[in-house]
Amino acid sequence: MRSNRVGWLMLAPTIAILGVFGIVPFLYVLYVAFHQWNPFGANPYMIYNGANNFRRLVFDNEFLTSIAFTLKFAFFAVLSEVVLGYFLAQLFMKEFPGRGLFRTIHTLPLIVAPIVVGSVWRLMTTPSIGIIPYLLKSWFGYDLNIGRDATMAFALTVIMDIWHWTPLVTLTLLAALVSLPKEPFEQAQIDGANRWQIFWHVTLPMIRPAILATVFIRLMDALRTVDEVWMLTGGGPGAATRYLGLHIWKIVFPKTDYGYGSATSIIVLYLTLVMCWLLYVALVARRGQKRAS
Amino acid sequence: MEHMVDLDAVDDEANTIVASPQRTGFLPIVTNWFDRVFVGIYLFVALELFWMRFLEQSIPLSVCHLLAIALGVLIVWRG
Repeated sequence: MRSNRVGWLMLAPTIAILGVFGIVPFLYVLYVAFHQWNPFGANPYMIYNGANNFRRLVFDNEFLTSIAFTLKFAFFAVLSEVVLGYFLAQLFMKEFPGRGLFRTIHTLPLIVAPIVVGSVWRLMTTPSIGIIPYLLKSWFGYDLNIGRDATMAFALTVIMDIWHWTPLVTLTLLAALVSLPKEPFEQAQIDGANRWQIFWHVTLPMIRPAILATVFIRLMDALRTVDEVWMLTGGGPGAATRYLGLHIWKIVFPKTDYGYGSATSIIVLYLTLVMCWLLYVALVARRGQKRAS
Repeated sequence: MEHMVDLDAVDDEANTIVASPQRTGFLPIVTNWFDRVFVGIYLFVALELFWMRFLEQSIPLSVCHLLAIALGVLIVWRG
């Protein structure tokens, strides 16, 4: 009983902060989601409208399209970051000249604010002045214009996200790889396992928690990305890169439709939690169950 | 060193603390009550959204409320 009280006391600051900055705003957004509220409109007061915001949402083609684009973006970005991050982490495990310098340079994108990343990539991809369209034109004769080409605009948002966030994955997986014991690898080599077998049966199971945590963090980030994409493409051309975060931003700020924006935010939170939970069930819970049985 | 900590006793104490009883119901995973409430709420929301999109024109949403609550209770009770 005493240890419980001490535990709760130690948790109290975290619970208080979580309550003030997490739970109370969430409950407020949930409350607003059931109201029509445009504080800058003719009637600036909240009017209760039941589930109408959600009813409007399930018929909103722009929203449904943005879900599809966001899932596609998250899939390509997170998968590429994890794969690339793992290979870079393996590279940093080896000794080679200039490893420290390379690791420092490789980590630099992490300290750049997303809005700055978006600005820099926009400068680099602007057709008349950017270095990327210039090089693509002079080397391959390819005319890059992300203001017109929806596929390239989408690809560039993914590449920008990979550039920005792969170092995070690398550092997490590097920490996991460094902390692994040597004995299982030596044992596997003695048993005659090849590199693929060692990776699949020894390394991967042991770094699974680190991979899972990284995928969760990156998936949640990718599903609510706004500022980088807003700076690079502004959601265009058309709605090709209008991801969910950007969609909500456009509803809440330019249109000041707070009720509908809140309903959309709640659904995005719902989707994020469902995806993370499904991933958790697929990778951890079922495995634990198999082991237990 | 007057106060030595008995690590074995601490481990034993930790092993006796059961956060929440886990069990296997008709859901394909081992769950505790929080998992089942979580799944119930999520299926409730999914069913409501699906109903609003495809069925509300012919069947009122209150039918969905009843079904979703029944499903939630079933999951918490037998899931």
